[in-house]
Amino acid sequence: MLETDRIQLHKLVEEALPELDMMIGWTESCDPLQTTPVFIRDAKLISKLTLGPFCSQNLAGYLVKPPALESVPKDAKPIGICVKGCDSRSLVALIQEKFISRDRVRIFGIPCRGTIDWRKVAQRVGLSDVKSATVEDDFLVIDASGTTHRIGLEDVLARKCLGCRYPNPIIQDVLVGQVATPRSSSLETTYRDVDALDNKPIEERLAFWQSELDRCIRCYACRNACPLCVCQDKCIAETREPRWLTQRVGLPEKFLFHFIHAMHLAGRCTGCGECERVCPMDIPVTLIKEKLNKIMEEMLGYSAGLDPDGVPPLLTFNPGETEI
Amino acid sequence: MTDSSPRSSAPADQTAANTQGIKIVGFLCNWCSYGGADTAGVCRFKQPTDLRIVRIPCTGRMDPLFVAKSLIYGMDGVLVSGCHPRDCHYAVGNFYARRRMEALKLFLPFMGIDTRRFRYTWVSASEGQQWQKVVTEFSEEIHRLGPNPGVGPRSGENSKISNGLR
Repeated sequence: MLETDRIQLHKLVEEALPELDMMIGWTESCDPLQTTPVFIRDAKLISKLTLGPFCSQNLAGYLVKPPALESVPKDAKPIGICVKGCDSRSLVALIQEKFISRDRVRIFGIPCRGTIDWRKVAQRVGLSDVKSATVEDDFLVIDASGTTHRIGLEDVLARKCLGCRYPNPIIQDVLVGQVATPRSSSLETTYRDVDALDNKPIEERLAFWQSELDRCIRCYACRNACPLCVCQDKCIAETREPRWLTQRVGLPEKFLFHFIHAMHLAGRCTGCGECERVCPMDIPVTLIKEKLNKIMEEMLGYSAGLDPDGVPPLLTFNPGETEI
Repeated sequence: MTDSSPRSSAPADQTAANTQGIKIVGFLCNWCSYGGADTAGVCRFKQPTDLRIVRIPCTGRMDPLFVAKSLIYGMDGVLVSGCHPRDCHYAVGNFYARRRMEALKLFLPFMGIDTRRFRYTWVSASEGQQWQKVVTEFSEEIHRLGPNPGVGPRSGENSKISNGLR
């Protein structure tokens, strides 16, 4: 089925490419468990495009991060981009905030059945000599070091995928493959990790974040990978004027950095999990944003990235809200 | 934000000795609460002395990170006060603030920071009495909670990773 989807994608891109400035998608990487982003202008490269459970990167960020915004000519052709459900929400959020216009992108929507977290696989089977990896029904089948491993999908999916409510793209020009069923339909399953931490006493919560954030090396990979962190060189974590953070390596600086990241994403974060995926220290940074997403849903009934005409809740107000 | 307050991770103690260095920062709207505090002063209402006031042009200027940074770096309490809703000098600033402050209030405990150390309220320029009440109550609450233990060592001496990198 994956193979037919891939052929369909190649066909659609081949038809569309003459009208496109560029096509952004995924291609196979150094081992079967990972893919890497690819930028296609040459029709010969289309056959390299791939899709499936190993395409974990959110490509939406490439539309707004340098050099993307540098001098786009008025008559520029649209850019083609492959998006999963969560990536499409990032696109919607970027369209909402007018960082990209809808007619500048040609969206190839890809229903997603969950992406594989290669770290979880590495913990179970190691990553040496992986010959092949495929997803069959609810199992990941890996051929590594001469033996075949069958691992339950639930054990190796990225954390954000386990509570995914929007596996299908919110917006798209074309849909590639069959519509997927959501893994979660309720707030309880989506936010179960948040609730698990929230149910602990406050001292344990502080101790949890102290031990997690203590590992933070402030490489800012989470910020750089985030498609909605659009301040770039103006990020207040690095500016000298105003000077919010010093170069000290204490816990307060680490806490404050993550507060900055989280508060700037409050009501905007679409939960694509990129911050957590790229963290070299394995810190569950998405969890911080998940809590704020939960607050936004419960307090204001808002989920980011679902409505291209919506406004992020902290950038607007409602005089009638007397209860808060 | 300089800091000289005693810092301890010991449980909150109600004795006066333990709460002497209490520091509370208040972010007050120029058009109402700042005036309200002034009114309270002119009327010679007795007020606690723990409060350091930062005057802001409007609560719409309040970045939730002002509060977060204050609490992370060991301020014992943060009080934000502005015009009553629908009374904003700039018409809508406090409507924005209300959402942001409430979101922060719900978020702080998730990170292990006691949300009782943060309060937002609405006091107009004529409400000297109301200001006295708000600030006295909040100050008493912070004295009950004792010094803010903060989120961890400032310089990273006890931090495993930073020792490794040094």
